[in-house]
Amino acid sequence: MKHASFRAAATTALSLAVLGAVILLVLPKYWVFLITAVFIVGIALQSLGLVTGRTGMISLCQMSFAGVGAWVTGYLNLIGAPGGLAVWMLIGGLAAVPVGVAIGLPALRLRGINLAIVTLGFAAAFDTVLATITFPGQTSFTQVARPEAFDSDKGYFAFVLITYGIIAVVLEFVSRSRLGAAWLAVRHSERAAAANGISIPRAKLSAFAISAFISGVSGGLLAGYLGTLVSENFSMMQSLALFAVATMAGAHFTLGAIAGGMMIVLFPELLRRLNLPQDVGNVFFALGAVQALSTGETIAETWTRLARKLGPKRVMAAATSAGTLPEKTAHPGGIALEVRDLTVRYGSVTALDKVNLAVPAGAVVGLVGPNGAGKSTLVDAIAGFLFRYDGSILLNGKPLEGISATSRSKLGIRRTWQTTRIAPELRVGEYIRLAAGPISESELESLLAWFGCPGPDTPIATIDVGTRRLLDVAGAVASRAPVILLDEPAAGVSYDEAMKLGERIAAIPQTFGSAVLLIEHDMDLVRRACTAITVFDFGRVIAAGATAAVLDMPVVQKAYMGVEFEEAAE
Amino acid sequence: MTILSIGALQVDRAGIPVIRGVDLEAKGGEISVLLGSNGAGKTTFLESLSGIIPARAGFITLDGTALVKLRPGARAKAGLSHVEQGRTVFPAMTTEENLKVALHPDADLKEAYDLFPELLQRRTVEAGMLSGGEQQMVVIARSIVNRPRVILIDEMSSGLAPVIVSRLMRAVRQLADDGMAVVLVEQFAALALAIGNRAYVLRRGQIVYDGDCAALARDPGHLHRLYLGDAAA
Amino acid sequence: MDSLFTAAVAGLSAGGAYAILGVCAIFTYRLVAVVNFTGAAIGAAGTFAMVALFELGVPLLPAVLLGIAAGAAAGIAIGLVMTTWFAGSSASTKAAVTAALLVGIIAVGLRLTGGQHPHYFPEIIPGSAFRLAGVEVTWAAVTTLALSIAFTLLTEQFLARTRTGLQLRALSQRPMAAELIGIRVRLLALGVWAVTGGVTAFALMIIAPLRSPDFSSLSLLVVPALAAALIGAFSSFRAALIGGLMIGLLEGSVSAIGAVSQYRGAVPFLVILAVLLWSQRGARWDEAR
Repeated sequence: MKHASFRAAATTALSLAVLGAVILLVLPKYWVFLITAVFIVGIALQSLGLVTGRTGMISLCQMSFAGVGAWVTGYLNLIGAPGGLAVWMLIGGLAAVPVGVAIGLPALRLRGINLAIVTLGFAAAFDTVLATITFPGQTSFTQVARPEAFDSDKGYFAFVLITYGIIAVVLEFVSRSRLGAAWLAVRHSERAAAANGISIPRAKLSAFAISAFISGVSGGLLAGYLGTLVSENFSMMQSLALFAVATMAGAHFTLGAIAGGMMIVLFPELLRRLNLPQDVGNVFFALGAVQALSTGETIAETWTRLARKLGPKRVMAAATSAGTLPEKTAHPGGIALEVRDLTVRYGSVTALDKVNLAVPAGAVVGLVGPNGAGKSTLVDAIAGFLFRYDGSILLNGKPLEGISATSRSKLGIRRTWQTTRIAPELRVGEYIRLAAGPISESELESLLAWFGCPGPDTPIATIDVGTRRLLDVAGAVASRAPVILLDEPAAGVSYDEAMKLGERIAAIPQTFGSAVLLIEHDMDLVRRACTAITVFDFGRVIAAGATAAVLDMPVVQKAYMGVEFEEAAE
Repeated sequence: MTILSIGALQVDRAGIPVIRGVDLEAKGGEISVLLGSNGAGKTTFLESLSGIIPARAGFITLDGTALVKLRPGARAKAGLSHVEQGRTVFPAMTTEENLKVALHPDADLKEAYDLFPELLQRRTVEAGMLSGGEQQMVVIARSIVNRPRVILIDEMSSGLAPVIVSRLMRAVRQLADDGMAVVLVEQFAALALAIGNRAYVLRRGQIVYDGDCAALARDPGHLHRLYLGDAAA
Repeated sequence: MDSLFTAAVAGLSAGGAYAILGVCAIFTYRLVAVVNFTGAAIGAAGTFAMVALFELGVPLLPAVLLGIAAGAAAGIAIGLVMTTWFAGSSASTKAAVTAALLVGIIAVGLRLTGGQHPHYFPEIIPGSAFRLAGVEVTWAAVTTLALSIAFTLLTEQFLARTRTGLQLRALSQRPMAAELIGIRVRLLALGVWAVTGGVTAFALMIIAPLRSPDFSSLSLLVVPALAAALIGAFSSFRAALIGGLMIGLLEGSVSAIGAVSQYRGAVPFLVILAVLLWSQRGARWDEAR
């Protein structure tokens, strides 16, 4: 894990160094000057890739953040603040942070579209403000001073490249950390992220803040690059074009950010040499973005996929049991999870009516019943995804009312979903660490082996959906939570695999120490996995007790098959 | 006479194979009952027939016309009607508006009200305000106003009281007697078997029983094993 | 005080246009489930078609009608993109598509109209209607105001009383059920795009002479339009109507106050910010996520 980050970071740093050396040695001055802009735009694209590509929030004012950074840089230059451009642009980046957070705040808990609207509004407002207050030194033509050591165009290229490299390497580390995985998880499914103990506001705000900072730095760099700035450099149209390019190129990948930067800077140059109007570029970017959105694949992803196809096939090994699983976690005995008189109403419909249920520590309890009986509603209520309910839910005797889904997850209630919600951009090991927090390499390997999952370096995108469901279960189990709720983990799995899964679920308490509440329709699986079951119908508990005995009760058969046969025959 | 013919149908849902090779024939004047526990793939099967989700392989023909590549609207025009589960009325429209929204210009609502006369006095009530049974009647009536050849009905009895379920079952029988081919998906086996002609049981995406409704109704032990698993296992 | 009142009244015609644009934004969102960032750009295409025809010597009335038709055609073009490739996409993907398309439309628009090159915008509805407390109220202001109110009420009546309106309501309530019972959903969706395109084009024609009328500034009127739609919570036409008018009045008033007059372009943003902060008081888990 860690060494993978170092390897990737080292690869990025080395290839940038080689690229920079080649550019400096081979290309004429004019091209070096142009390519400097590629990397400045690349930094802005990376900042956009962070919020939009990685966290899934549409931001249409990224150049406004850059404008804040540039303005502050220009101001510090004008008053002759100490430290030079390197310090000024960092301060500029920091100045953009509160702006980014303030813009992000109103969209925190609502749909992502609202962020698109508020950012577009900000871009428009910023245009007005910038046109009025103008850049510091704009009227007096004061040039922003470059750092002394990097004053020439070639020198400034090196300065920009070093800045780009530092940002790329840091982002490489962050994106492979739990925070980076959390961003992807939030983009893919906020509910699933919360179920893994991730604080959604924190994940989103950190993305906004870091993104605004990077964008602000790129604005500072641009100030040093151009010397004097005008508000046009940071207009709303620039932000929109940046968004289109980021969407097309995949700006959350280093490759995509550089490719996007080249498009923005070099495409107009190409058009100019062909005597074509330069605004054709924006049309091309728009069409490219629409194409990428319709296929769901960015240019960076396409290249990576093709390169993988051409390159040697890497066989992803299944997890081998390198180490042994640690001892099962000791949780308090007695009743792990208790539901008392739980009632849930949607308008006039009563989804759950005074439901009582107990899951003893060390047990696997089944929850069965026909469609619409209220099973998933119960799981939502227990895991904290229902806004309001009556009655109480207790974890090891402590009531959970008023505690958020994220906090319940941290306290020790983990759930899986009927459809898998793992972000496909993650790797197997990254997902398990996202779900479980820090666990050792050997524990990770042996856990995956226990479930028959592929090895930790396998990309999620390459494994089939049935295996992803297994990984869902593995993630919940890896967290060693006292209570695990499994919502139809065997849906869509073949009969034999379902039976195998049933045996593994039955062994979870003695192997890992967690108690399990299992929703499942396949009664053969239920019979294998559960010591006791509770049967639901019309939001009420109609039977509870030892598995085989309950399944033979007439009332249960009636719930499953309608009226009893004797009745129907009449 | 066979109206709807399905062969070797395979359907994936979110990448998971859910229907794994199903053959089925629905004849005019008959009710084909499709049973199976939750998660067996019944709803997915119907949704692939009406075009809500695409089939991965296999064929679906209605009176000889291939449906697999058609959009849902075109399948409706070809004479296929789908009553989805969950009583999909348009809640902010009245009963009558629900019935006439897609009514063909030269058809009328007589048959709909003949089938469920109890809807007449609820004509001006918003469908969202109706009882569950009435909503189910609206949806079934809405699906037959343009005289389809085949009607697919998904879990119409879910959450309804037995007396209403019987009422709905009688209406469905009447539709078949009028010549329609009915495919009735039910979790509650007994009543469906009582009115049906041919029975299929689906388990994990495959047909595990195909035969006469009456024969299956006479052998509840068999059905019990198909539904609640094998006690001996 | 007098100058403030004058300025507020001057903001009224812009407000009427914002209201119409906002109602169109809600119309598009409710019926075809797209938050449309190209709304004003589509209208701008129609407006500039009218100007081009007028400059070629076409009389005003036919030019206006053809311009409206051009706006409808532009709307259909966007609608075709959305219904062909993004019918099943998430709301956020659809919004991203329209945001990306906006970049391309503005680029094409600026090229075809000669960038910032000034055009003569005929005043479709010239002259002063009456004086109110010593303030001149133009016909343009009266017309946009009346038009926005009429359009809002007509939209409501159309949805409530016509067969097509009935089918559109079915489409907005349960798109899949509507398709399953044979309603021609794609045709209806394209109809929605055409109508919003034509109406927006007409609204922009009226207020274009009051603006810096280049293609991109007209396209960016989508910001106050979406602000008005947000006030209507993307569902209430009447609230959007009032919201749009209020934004116009507010902008007008701000431009009359010397110290902040330069910042009137920031008004829609502040409105958006306020509405969003207010509306997420009771926000909870979004089922779709």
